[in-house]
Amino acid sequence: MTNIVKVIKPGLSTTIQDLGRARHQIEGFPESGAMDKFEYQLANLLVNNHKNDASLEFVMTGPTLKFECDSFIALTGGQMHAKLNGQRILKNRAIQVDAGSVLECGPMETGNYGYIAFSNGGVVTQPILDSRSTTLRTQMGGIQGRALIAGDNLPIRDSVIMQSLQSRKINWDVETSNFIRFVKGPHWQMFSDEAQKQFTQQSYHVSEQMDRMGYRLNGNPLPVPSKSLLSEGTVFGNIQITRDGSPIILLADRQTTGGYPVIGTVIKADWSKLVQMKINKDFHFIEVDMETAMNALVAHQKILNDNYEKWYQGRYVEPIGPLRRNSIKIERLIKNNL
Amino acid sequence: MDYSYFQINEQALEVVFPEQINVEENKLVQQVSQKLIEEETAGVTGVIPAYHTLTVNFDYDLTSFKLLEGQIDSLIASSSGEDMSVKKIVELPVCYDEEFGPDLEDVAEFASVSVEKLIKLHTGTDYFIFMMGFLPGFAYMGSVPEQIAMPRLKVPRKSIAPGSVGIAGAQTGMYPVESPGGWRLIGRTPIQLYDRNNPVLKYRSGDYVRFKAISKAEYYEIQKRDRAGDYTLKTITEGGNTND
Repeated sequence: MTNIVKVIKPGLSTTIQDLGRARHQIEGFPESGAMDKFEYQLANLLVNNHKNDASLEFVMTGPTLKFECDSFIALTGGQMHAKLNGQRILKNRAIQVDAGSVLECGPMETGNYGYIAFSNGGVVTQPILDSRSTTLRTQMGGIQGRALIAGDNLPIRDSVIMQSLQSRKINWDVETSNFIRFVKGPHWQMFSDEAQKQFTQQSYHVSEQMDRMGYRLNGNPLPVPSKSLLSEGTVFGNIQITRDGSPIILLADRQTTGGYPVIGTVIKADWSKLVQMKINKDFHFIEVDMETAMNALVAHQKILNDNYEKWYQGRYVEPIGPLRRNSIKIERLIKNNL
Repeated sequence: MDYSYFQINEQALEVVFPEQINVEENKLVQQVSQKLIEEETAGVTGVIPAYHTLTVNFDYDLTSFKLLEGQIDSLIASSSGEDMSVKKIVELPVCYDEEFGPDLEDVAEFASVSVEKLIKLHTGTDYFIFMMGFLPGFAYMGSVPEQIAMPRLKVPRKSIAPGSVGIAGAQTGMYPVESPGGWRLIGRTPIQLYDRNNPVLKYRSGDYVRFKAISKAEYYEIQKRDRAGDYTLKTITEGGNTND
C-alpha cells in the first residue's frame, strides 16, 4: 500500500534520485542519478532495497520528515546529528520508524552529500524516461523536476518487517583523501609536457562553484592547447580543462556532450571521495593505468557485496524480523499487566 | 572506414572517427549507436553519439572492452554496407515574422537579400541533426547556406522564448525551452518542442529537419491544436534504393 512521508523542512537542496537515465543520453538528456553512488547504494542495501530504488539525496543540510506510515530507513553520507522523535540516531544502519515519527537530519559535518533510503522500494514517484531522478536544470523527474519544498508528500510503501534488522549496520564513514586517481583522458596528448606535469604535481581544491553538474577546481591555470575541438560525449568524472586553464570535473547532471579537452577521467573507485570532497581542501591528482583502476573498483564494490552477502545469509538468524504490529500489541499487554 | 577505440574509464569507451563535420560519417555513428541501444547489446548501459565520436557506457560485470569492441567492429562493418541515402525528414512549421524573429532584418542585410528571399533560403535546405544536447530537445543541425550563415550575437540575449529558431554561423536550430543565447533569431515554431511531463522528443540525431514557412494566423492555429494534443508533425521519408 502506498503511503506518505511529509516534508516539514526541505533542507538545503534535497532531491529524489536513483541511478539515473543513462539510456536516454542518446536523446541528449543528462544521465543524472545519485552523486555519490556508493553511499546511495549502501543506503538501499541497508534497508534491503533494489539497487535502483529512489532515495532522497541531500546537500550539506538534510530535511525534516514526518512519517504517516511504518517504515525502515537508513541514513548514509557525512557525519550528522540526526534525530528520530528527538532521540539521536546513527547513520549506516537500518532503523525502524513508526507511523507518526519525525526525522530531523540537520547539518552534516563531514562530506557534502547524504542519502535517506526507505524500505520496501524507496520513494515511488512517477518515473520519467525510466527514472525517478530529479534533473533540476531540465525540470525533469522527482516532484515537478524541482528540489523538495515544505509540504511535499513523498509516496512510499509502508513496511512492517525487515530481515536481520539487528545486523544491518556497517562501521563506515564517507571516504576522505588528499589525492584523487585518474586515467588519461582522450585529449591527454594535446597537452604539453609542461601542462601534464603541472596537472599531476600541483595541488587543487574544489571551489564554491560546485553542484550536481560539476565541480570547478581552483589551482594555478594550466597552459591550454590552442586547437579547438568538436564536442564529444561526456562521462561522470571527466576532467575538462576550460579556456582559462582550470579544471571542471563533470558529474551527475552534466550535459551529454562537451567541447573542452578532457585531460583525464577520475577512476570509479574514487568517485565517492571526490563528490564528498569539502570546499577548499587541498588534494592532488595521481595518474593510474586502467588495470589499477579496475582492481580498485572491484575492491571498492566488494565492501558492498560482502555486506549484502552477510545480511542475506543472516536472514534466517533469530530474531527473524519481528512482526511489528504484533510486537506492539504484546508490548501493550505486558505494560497494562504491570 | 578509419576509426580507433579509446578506453575512457573502467566502464566506458569511445569510438573515434576522423575529426570532421561530415554527414556520411555521422550517419554511421548514428546507426551504430541506435543499434547498440535498440538491439540491447549485452552490458551496454548508454551511448552518446556526437559529431565524430561514439561514447559507449557499459556494465563491467556483463561485458568487457574486448568483447564490446568486437561487437562494435561488426556493427560498423555491417552498417557501412547499408544504404545511407534514406532521409527521415521532420517538417517543422515556422513563422518568420519580425515579432518572433528580431534578427530577421539583420540576417537579410548580412546576406544582401530581401527577407522573403532569406526565408526561401532557410526553408530550402534540409538540415541534418548531428547530435542532441545542451538543452533538452536541442538539436545541433547543419549546414545553412553560406550566404545566410551569420555569426552569433556579440552579446547573448538574457532570455529567448521557447520555439525560437536561429542561426549561428553554419548552424541552425530551435530553442526548445526558455534560455539565454546568442543565436540570430529569425522566427519561431508554434510546436512545443519539450514537455517536461512527457519528454518524448519529436526528432532525434540522424533525422533531418525541414522548415516550412507559415503565417501568423497559422502560427496561432497550430499552437492551439498542438497544445490540445491535436497536431502531428509531418514526417517525410525520401531517398533509398527504390525507384518511386
